[in-house]
Amino acid sequence: MLRRIANHLFWAARNLERAEWRARLVNVNYHLLVESPPQNPQAWAPLLAITGEREVFEERYTSADETSVLTFYTFDDENPSSIRSCIRAARESARALRHRISSELWLELNTLYLDSLSWSPATLDASGIYTFFTELGGRFYRIAGITSDTLTRDPGYDFFMIGKMLERTESVARLLDVKYHFLLPRVEDLGGSVDLLQWAALLRSASALEAYRRVYGNAIEVERVVEMLLFDESFPRSARFSMNRLEASLQRIAALSANGTHQPTEARALASAKLANLLKSIGVTDVIAGGLHQYLLQIEDECANIGEVLSAEYLRFE
Amino acid sequence: MPVKPAYTPLPDTYDETFEGELIPRAACEPIAASLLSASPERINELRARADRMFLTMGVTFNVYGDNAGAERIFPFDLVPRVIDAKTWKNLEAGLAQRVRALNAFVADIYGEGKILRDEVVPRDLVCGSPQYRRAAIGIKPPNGVFVTVAGIDLVRDHEGRFMVLEDNVRTPSGVSYVLENRLVMTRLMPDLVRKCGVRSVENYPSDLLASLHEIASPSVARPTAALLTPGPYNSAFFEHVFLSQQMGIELVEGQDLVCVDHKLFMKTVAGLQQVHVLYRRIDDDFLDPLVFRSDSLLGVAGITDAMRAGTVTVANGIGTGVADDKAVFAYTPEMIRYYLAEEPLLPIVETHLLRDADVRKRVIHDLDQFVIKPTGASGGYGVLIGPKATYRELAQMRDAIEKDPAAFIAQPMVQLSAHPTFVGQGSNVALVPRHVDLRPFVLLGSKARVLPGGLTRVALREGSLIVNSSQGGGSKDTWVVDV
Repeated sequence: MLRRIANHLFWAARNLERAEWRARLVNVNYHLLVESPPQNPQAWAPLLAITGEREVFEERYTSADETSVLTFYTFDDENPSSIRSCIRAARESARALRHRISSELWLELNTLYLDSLSWSPATLDASGIYTFFTELGGRFYRIAGITSDTLTRDPGYDFFMIGKMLERTESVARLLDVKYHFLLPRVEDLGGSVDLLQWAALLRSASALEAYRRVYGNAIEVERVVEMLLFDESFPRSARFSMNRLEASLQRIAALSANGTHQPTEARALASAKLANLLKSIGVTDVIAGGLHQYLLQIEDECANIGEVLSAEYLRFE
Repeated sequence: MPVKPAYTPLPDTYDETFEGELIPRAACEPIAASLLSASPERINELRARADRMFLTMGVTFNVYGDNAGAERIFPFDLVPRVIDAKTWKNLEAGLAQRVRALNAFVADIYGEGKILRDEVVPRDLVCGSPQYRRAAIGIKPPNGVFVTVAGIDLVRDHEGRFMVLEDNVRTPSGVSYVLENRLVMTRLMPDLVRKCGVRSVENYPSDLLASLHEIASPSVARPTAALLTPGPYNSAFFEHVFLSQQMGIELVEGQDLVCVDHKLFMKTVAGLQQVHVLYRRIDDDFLDPLVFRSDSLLGVAGITDAMRAGTVTVANGIGTGVADDKAVFAYTPEMIRYYLAEEPLLPIVETHLLRDADVRKRVIHDLDQFVIKPTGASGGYGVLIGPKATYRELAQMRDAIEKDPAAFIAQPMVQLSAHPTFVGQGSNVALVPRHVDLRPFVLLGSKARVLPGGLTRVALREGSLIVNSSQGGGSKDTWVVDV
């Protein structure tokens, strides 16, 4: 397995996952705003803080109004993390991977890319924000399905899954952070009706509302939501579930290189152990007591660390 | 037996499908009776299905200087070009003979140089060729194979005689279209393909892989082969993907490779893996920045040394282009006699070297009767077709020749054969004669293997003789039929 190919697989998966979560983030924020009474002209600003892109945004936009932020996140070509930019990057990787991925996967991704070229604010107006993002979500599900049903389970697949799961862990943390920023201005609303609506919207955006209800019943409690999204081992979008799959792939790859000339260093094992430790040894009560935001930042840091170590170990080829 | 298609063959031109008054040649009868006589609706439906198949399969080529959606499909014509088994048998023998001689020539000029010493081919012509590579001197690949893959361009004159127009022994492309065209035809017209008894082309990738293994160092029991591509932006990238996929070998870029201790390696996630045979699809100039262009990022530093050390075989070898130089071409019949002691089975298009003063005088006098080609260009660029040139173009060419006579060759104008071809859209679809050539592919390993048929290129513009895809050419499936 060539390092360049592994690198493309890793990034194709990351970019697709990132695009998908961007769509989810934008959608959840949209719903939070729709369902919260006061009309705040800067209501979209917290989102920019979460994704760490406020400065990039302010370079080219005057106000964080809905149209500007939606444009920025969805089809701004100068924003490397816009949904369209992520799709383009994933498709560029796929071009170099065409001899390794299924033609079905290439076709689906290429079609999504070609469609994305015609996106504009008018597209959002025409279909409506809800429909646009829902349909887009469906496209990502198709890609995930084709990936799962057509890619050979070889080291390439593991690199793809590592990219996907790393991005997913990070994204779950970011999504919870949206909520944190919304809570911040009015602590007295905690547990109130508005608040509950918002938590429900957040669960829905992670496709977790129905699963939550099955497990925990009708009452939406903050602790249970955090528990589900971070620590549930059976829910496929939780941080711990993602981390488990990440670990499994990392172990298979370590076994593979043990047979080759390249001996993996301690750094990789250490990096993933730190994340595992973070997600396994702390309970939800402690997390909330110690500050959810701080904890989420720690998860993001550990994810970034794994990415760096992995890159140095297996993916860099210059 | 005459058939009903509304079709008028070109005068004074060999028609590939019909002889005389719309009487199909024996091997073409089933095609004339069905496809050529089909309704416009049926033709349009088949064409639309074919286009859709090419697009979904991603059989595209990249157009330089274009951005989004820069991938286009190569125009495809439904009417297959048929070659009967007897004609093919002669062609096949002539092609194999030719490639063996070209290979012997390359081995000789970078080895002992006998043909130069015996003055069969002028030394200055060879060493002065822009394709001559000093770096190739002394490299001795296993089995003596320098030319592993060759594409020989053939045309057919007004009497239907096949002759060689030019050789391609550097990195000839187009074979993926042969395979994909066939795939599309068998899906579109399975009954017709079966009825005609078309010879399969499916073995090409495994024949290529076998040839690559045969030229690996004999000391390696299970050689590892890889295909070197310039990357996704190259116009033939699809073909590189296709072939590596079909052969089950890695598709590598220069950045995936590294030379250590005169050996070539790929950088894998499990460490370095040695490569024993590299099928490269980049030009000599970009292959090794230590020897050729130092600014090249496409190749790998040190590969020439590794070749010299015998740890890796590169196909095709360095400097093979000297054998497809347009001036050296004039001597190819002599090469066949010299190396193989055989008479050439395939004639070449008569070729005049303008560096000879007498020849030059004669050609310049009748410039409007000749086709003039620059020796240093390919892809149909810079070619002057005398009978179709304007006064001004002829005058410019005269000046250019006088300034640098060795840079040009002259060939008589060959009236290329024509083939029934569908043109026009919708209700305007019509069956018309269009000029064609043929590029068969020959592989050389421990023996020569010729792909049955080859790529038929068709000049889609009325009256045009230029079949290159960059200049309005399309392609047809080519059928060798056992009748």
